[in-house]
Amino acid sequence: MRAIFWITIIVASAVAGAAFWTHLPVSAQEKSYTPPRAADGVPDLNGIWQALNTANYDIQSHPARPALALIPASPRSATPGLDRATHVELPAPVVRPLGAVGGVPAGAGIVEGDEIPYQPWAVAKKKENADHWLERDPEIKCFMPGVPRATYMPYPFQILQGTDKILIAYEFAGATRTIHMSTVGDSPSSTWMGWSRGHWDGNTLVVDVTDFNEETWFDRAGNFHSDALHVTERYTPVSPHHLMYEVTIEDPKVFTRPWKMRMPLYRRFDADAQIREYKCVEFVEQLLYGQLGVVDPATGTINK
Amino acid sequence: MRYRSLILIGVVAIAGAIAVPACYAPPSPTASSPTTGRTAWGDPDLQGVWRYEGAIPLERPSQLEGRDTLTAEEVAARERVEKEQEAKRLEGVEGAAVGRRSVAESPIRGNEYNSFWQDHGRPRQVSNRTSLIVDPPDGQLPFTPNAKKAEARAAARYGVGPFESYLDPDTGERCLTDGVTGMMWQGPNGGHNRIVQSPGYVTILHEEYRDRRVIPVDGRPHGSIRQWFGDAVGRWEGETLVVDTTNFVDRTNYEWANIWTRPSESLHLVERFKRVDAATIEYTVTVDDPTTFTRAWTAMIPITKLPDDTQIYEYACHEGNYAMPNLLRGGRTDAARTSSR
Amino acid sequence: MRTTLVTLIAGIALIFVTTRVSAHHAFAAEFDSTKPVTLRGTVVKMEWINPHTWIHLDVKTPKGTVERWMVEGGPPNALYRRGFTQKSLPQGSEIVVEGYRAKDGSLRCNGRDLTFADGRRLFVGSSGTGAPKDGRDASEK
Repeated sequence: MRAIFWITIIVASAVAGAAFWTHLPVSAQEKSYTPPRAADGVPDLNGIWQALNTANYDIQSHPARPALALIPASPRSATPGLDRATHVELPAPVVRPLGAVGGVPAGAGIVEGDEIPYQPWAVAKKKENADHWLERDPEIKCFMPGVPRATYMPYPFQILQGTDKILIAYEFAGATRTIHMSTVGDSPSSTWMGWSRGHWDGNTLVVDVTDFNEETWFDRAGNFHSDALHVTERYTPVSPHHLMYEVTIEDPKVFTRPWKMRMPLYRRFDADAQIREYKCVEFVEQLLYGQLGVVDPATGTINK
Repeated sequence: MRYRSLILIGVVAIAGAIAVPACYAPPSPTASSPTTGRTAWGDPDLQGVWRYEGAIPLERPSQLEGRDTLTAEEVAARERVEKEQEAKRLEGVEGAAVGRRSVAESPIRGNEYNSFWQDHGRPRQVSNRTSLIVDPPDGQLPFTPNAKKAEARAAARYGVGPFESYLDPDTGERCLTDGVTGMMWQGPNGGHNRIVQSPGYVTILHEEYRDRRVIPVDGRPHGSIRQWFGDAVGRWEGETLVVDTTNFVDRTNYEWANIWTRPSESLHLVERFKRVDAATIEYTVTVDDPTTFTRAWTAMIPITKLPDDTQIYEYACHEGNYAMPNLLRGGRTDAARTSSR
Repeated sequence: MRTTLVTLIAGIALIFVTTRVSAHHAFAAEFDSTKPVTLRGTVVKMEWINPHTWIHLDVKTPKGTVERWMVEGGPPNALYRRGFTQKSLPQGSEIVVEGYRAKDGSLRCNGRDLTFADGRRLFVGSSGTGAPKDGRDASEK
């Protein structure tokens, strides 16, 4: 009797203790938080959300950098007789006037294992992309950002849960995704934002995204994919104000295996939180077309 | 002994309370009901993909001056002609409206692309009116004199130019937008619009230019930030969704395919969406803009629900806008020819 | 009297039925209406983008060389809704294009009309899916 009594006390205390300690790490929160339900009974992810990280600069861990476009360091030994300090990295002339506004903040990566398993040819292609960032990054041209980049660009987005369809409204370039929550046919073509099919796995919204074209990047560091890209997203509410976002990337043309990214998404609950317009097409017309017509609208001069 | 049992129970209970998180019982779910036409939280359900499938123009044609409706015979005649043309198009034989003439004999304008490129939709007789404009009674847009001049200038420039820079094509050629005023119904045979409702919001996704409006219906006031699509706030008045939009940016100095859709800072739109039956939303828009019109005008457009498997496809326009550099090159060629004369 | 009424009704019907092809097309800025072209070639690829699809076409010249043309088509969404997709015009298809040449004389034209080598129109009709009459179309009631 006595033994059973004390064993029970110890076991109960152990359970209590374990329960207490497992509340601290995020993984237990994920398992234990039950979100409110939408009126049709499914988890309610409606709201305005935003990522807070530097993933759009570089999805891998990176130190601070002077600019997004750099000119290479000149080695100390390259110039005969030069025994003075040389620069490490300089901003490219075209972005130099932006000064510290144009710099890249340091940040932890969001890639599990911090390694992107490129095939050997793709490693070189990524570096080439990075070296030609100004000419190649589709973000500069206000092209649709693709998935998952749209999620972690520095703008809020809104999840709008309708019947059978969930829309995700992004600010950048006014991109919108339609997530089909019931059976839907196939996409008739390759797209920038993919073709999204969603279902619920417990409290998690799982979205299977296919039919991408090869045009989008994952970040400003030149990380890319092919038209074989297949993305699987998981949106899991972990508190009234956070989602945990996990995304699996598969692309047999570019990577040697699937790989994952993971980050919290924060609810924007300021009273006037709203998705605004960022209709950036007109912001880039001078850049793309200014020199192509008879007249350059910026200067009024005739183009040669 | 008894106390020890109680303590034991207490400890186990406390352990249980710490280990098991607080849950609350969810409200019993009510699925959205197509038959009652309500969303799960009780608002009228406008969801689906919608399109204006009529052939009635915005303004009353001059041949029909003084008449605000067609007779039943006239509507039936129109229906016959449209169905004939649809059958011919599907067969690959053109109808009278878009003739398949030889390249040598076909005029450019209106015939640049044969009809298989066009989305004529389903021919439907959604109304017997002679114009979508219901007020003013003459069915005409009440342009200010300046706006009338702008409209005439736009019509004269259409396809002709000059196209000297990216500022000269209209907002559609620039892959910007066609504006809000005609969004629910404009286009050859109407554009496609998906309406999605979630608590506190009605969202409209328009296919062309992927234009999108997220309209709060929670009673908030207008903000102050100006946008191309203004700042829309909605409310339910019984069965009707009323959307009030102000705070448009001034885009009157841009080229527009249709002047009547251009936003200015004085533009104020009031729209009403009423689902009158399973297949129809009666959409009414009142346009009040002293910069462009001498008085407010109102159009009523019946829009039709498309089958449930209709999708809104991605609209990548700027991402592949070859037409822009092409027309600018065309402009340079024209300018070179002119200067060499 | 009756004949006149019938003519009047038919005439009114036609007032409404003529639909504008496209609200936006600086067609005459890109293409030259005095330069019609007819091309016969093989499809290299087709870009299904809005508001104009683009077909890249290899055209054999009389000299035996191959020219790469770009043919501007209409919007893809009209084709999608009739059941045609990105897979509908595969690489290697032989087609005939009628259109107007680019103003600047480059190897570009619009694809006013596309036919197969045997004269059948491309993208005509539907690709066979048809409208479902299964109660999902509220407007069919």
